Amino acid sequence: MPDLTNTRADLWRDIVGECGDIRHCFNCSTCVAGCPAAEGAPPLFIRNLVRKVLLGLEDELLEDETPWLCVTCSACEEMCPMGVHPFEVCLAIRRWQARNDETFIPASVAEVFETGHTQPVGGVGERRRAVGLEEVPPTIARFPGLLEKFREMLRGTDIVRDNDYMFKG
Amino acid sequence: MRYGLFLGCNVPAVRPDVERAMRLTMPRLGAELVDLEGSACCPAFGTFPSADEIASLAVSAWNFSIAEERGVELVTECGSCYSSLRIARKKLLEDGEKRDAVNGLLARAGRSFRGTVVVRHIIDVLYNDIGTDRIAAEIEFPLKGLAATVQYPCHTLFPSEVVGFDFPSGRPRMLRELVEALGGSVRAYSRDLQCCGGAGGFVKGSFASASEFAFGKIRAMTDETDAGIIVVSCITCLEHLDRMQNELRRKEGGDRRQLAVFDYSQLLAVCMGFDPAEVASISVIPREGAIARIRGAEGPAPSPA
Repeated sequence: MPDLTNTRADLWRDIVGECGDIRHCFNCSTCVAGCPAAEGAPPLFIRNLVRKVLLGLEDELLEDETPWLCVTCSACEEMCPMGVHPFEVCLAIRRWQARNDETFIPASVAEVFETGHTQPVGGVGERRRAVGLEEVPPTIARFPGLLEKFREMLRGTDIVRDNDYMFKG
Repeated sequence: MRYGLFLGCNVPAVRPDVERAMRLTMPRLGAELVDLEGSACCPAFGTFPSADEIASLAVSAWNFSIAEERGVELVTECGSCYSSLRIARKKLLEDGEKRDAVNGLLARAGRSFRGTVVVRHIIDVLYNDIGTDRIAAEIEFPLKGLAATVQYPCHTLFPSEVVGFDFPSGRPRMLRELVEALGGSVRAYSRDLQCCGGAGGFVKGSFASASEFAFGKIRAMTDETDAGIIVVSCITCLEHLDRMQNELRRKEGGDRRQLAVFDYSQLLAVCMGFDPAEVASISVIPREGAIARIRGAEGPAPSPA
């Protein structure tokens, strides 16, 4: 039984602002029925996450790692009969967690800041040459000047300003 | 027909043979591919979209501004890139405040988002712009009834309102018809609309259950059909269904047959006669047998039994 004595009644406003209106959710579980990660251990049950938000269970939500199991297939988004946009809810909860606890910020965020990519696109020349391609593709990996501009753009964002120690380059 | 080829991260780094296949096949079909110079991560859902929405939209808008500058529609093979970019485009067009905030950020880099960008998935372009007749006419080595299963990329189906081009989203057909245009026979199976399960955080966060999820799909393909290959059109489906078949064999320790996995552009390239060493050379499950069957005497010699 969750502790309902320590809740924040307006928690939903932090989440709702960035996605569909979760107040329409009546816990029908359609989002769970079609969700691959509902088979996870522990399972991702989006309807439970929505309840936690609506009940204002801030502490519980801040310790819940299940939003990060989402496979991003968006089947829930397609099937939700109430227009809640469960996939967007899932991402919005991840962002809320990342804003309130920096340990939730994925390392790949800093990687994209640093290199423009999530993979070593500029470092697999041999593999690319073997299939008849140029060693470095014409992405940001090939243009250091553009990468610097890309970083300059991101230096103006909250995530980079508030966590500058994570972002090198 | 001119398109800006959006590469993303996984295709150029992990499976460049898919990039090669697209770069060779599309011009042969009358679709010129131009490079989107300086394009970056889409961004992937597990990166900025999970941390800061405005920053995430700014990264997408960075990519949009490059396509807008070149005056071309953006086309991508990666399902995640496609979905991330489509969702970002919708948010930017519908929300003036977010658009202004993002343009403020882009200005720091001397760029801007005008809102003219069009984001397409390669299945959409192949089917709707090029067409199955044109594809069939360019085939030198038809599949001659080779049995296949197809994996529809979830990111091109849901939410249909934002990403959809194949309707109804619950019964897609374009990838099947594209394989049939090569002369293949596409087999139905009980889990053919189940996603591969390889995207997002499922595999990393809950490996055993994510594996079981993929095994269910793989078992359905191998037990219910006589298919020899799996055809996908998403880098994640390609890598995951390839890798998970080996995981399943490791777990079962048996001799369950394994299906060679091809991205559609790779299969198309093999059927068009391009060098398999360039267009279909990187995989876990060997593809040589399937390629030899398609190319006959022209293909690489099957390894001695």
